[in-house]
Amino acid sequence: MKIPDSLWSIWCVWLRYFAAFIKSLPYYLGTTFLEPIFYLLSFGVGVGALVGGITTQGVHLSYRSFIFSGIIAQTVLFQGFYEGAFGAFVRMYYQKIFQAIAITPVTLSEVLWGELLWDSTKATVAAEVVALIGVATKDFPAQCLLWLLPVCFLSSVLFSAMGLAAAGFAAASMNFPIPNTCWYSQCFFFAAFSTQLRVCPPLCKKSPGFFRLLPSTPLCGP
Amino acid sequence: MTTSVPPLQVIQLAKRYRAHWGGEETQALSGISFEIATGECFGLLGPNGAGKSTAIQCISGFYPATSGEVFVEGYNVHLHPKQARQVLGVCNQEETLDSDFKVYDQLVRHASYFRIPTFLAKQRAHDLLERFGLSDKAKEPVESLSGGMKRRLQVARSLISNPRVLVLDEPTTGLDPDVRRMLWEALAEARKKGTAILLCTHYMEEAERLCDRVAILSEGKILDVDSPENLVARHIARGEVEEEVRPGVVWKRRPNLEDVYLKLTGSRLGVEGL
Repeated sequence: MKIPDSLWSIWCVWLRYFAAFIKSLPYYLGTTFLEPIFYLLSFGVGVGALVGGITTQGVHLSYRSFIFSGIIAQTVLFQGFYEGAFGAFVRMYYQKIFQAIAITPVTLSEVLWGELLWDSTKATVAAEVVALIGVATKDFPAQCLLWLLPVCFLSSVLFSAMGLAAAGFAAASMNFPIPNTCWYSQCFFFAAFSTQLRVCPPLCKKSPGFFRLLPSTPLCGP
Repeated sequence: MTTSVPPLQVIQLAKRYRAHWGGEETQALSGISFEIATGECFGLLGPNGAGKSTAIQCISGFYPATSGEVFVEGYNVHLHPKQARQVLGVCNQEETLDSDFKVYDQLVRHASYFRIPTFLAKQRAHDLLERFGLSDKAKEPVESLSGGMKRRLQVARSLISNPRVLVLDEPTTGLDPDVRRMLWEALAEARKKGTAILLCTHYMEEAERLCDRVAILSEGKILDVDSPENLVARHIARGEVEEEVRPGVVWKRRPNLEDVYLKLTGSRLGVEGL
């Protein structure tokens, strides 16, 4: 059976990213493993020593276990948004890869779909790698690894799409700080409200619908 | 598709755009029309900012046209981009080589976008690298190539799909004379196979040598189209022109396409007798 043209084109773009990525795999895995370990050390061990344990929704958890879902969610946010925003900007504006591909039978919209799916794939893999560290440190239950896949992928698609929109905005206006400050930073900083919405001002209670990291965080939890 | 359809038809192509948000609107193209026959080489000449590169971006379907139509082998490039681009090879003025891949891999990867089977893509990549004198660089990263080599590779890449229409935007800019000749020979070979070529160039000698017909483009409009010989005969009345090449040194020579170009685009630059 012949694969439809558009799917084939998107697959070709995805494969192009994958082939380029394979070359930098050791470096990528190194940074993906290291970053959550730094987070665990600073927030989990450091702040955790001050806070001790936390009881939420009737369950008592160590602080380290409590924040681990946040570490997974922020990995999805960082990887998805950064790859979609800065990675795509470099590929589009400096490397001219979009231009090189979009003069072939692969259309520009297919290039963008391929880019979006690749960014999401990469963010999902990163989140799973981080979750594996959690399994190793007993801060994340192994049985949740599979459930995490669709949650992370759907969240990644959203964050990557926002990143791509930011890259498009930056290419037109040469301004990255605006989407960064207005959306990405809010997602990261206000994610802490995710389990404590009842104590927040009314405006903040409505914000999770917009800043999608917040609903993602408890979903990534055990 | 009947054989009477010209490989490339451009009908009243216009493009208006803003370079950035809030910027002034520019009329880059104002309804240009031309068509290219099978095996013909058609030149697009014009000063910087005349609209040549915009025309190429619209013809390749990368920019949407504000109005007008472009047909490649009978397919509207904006309505049926896949079918049109399947037979189109484009070499942009800007370097668009994929720096994440080595020279050989780059060609094979590019072929995959045309759904060319891998074994065939590898064979063609080999042949093209050989043809363009890049075989010894096959395993090198793109960054290690000189400017001329990158240009050759980009032209080679545009030929990987054996296009029936080849669009080249200043392919020989900055190349050594011997490499330029190599490219000319490669283009002549492509023409022999029936490939129609649209060539944008600043080099008048190149246009006179390669092009069957030439269009002079200025401020988004085509000022005249004909063979180089007819253009010279039509626009340069005198059999001889005088040109001051250095202070006090005047050359007398036969008029050429450059004189036509300078006359039509309104730039005389010291050439007398036009």
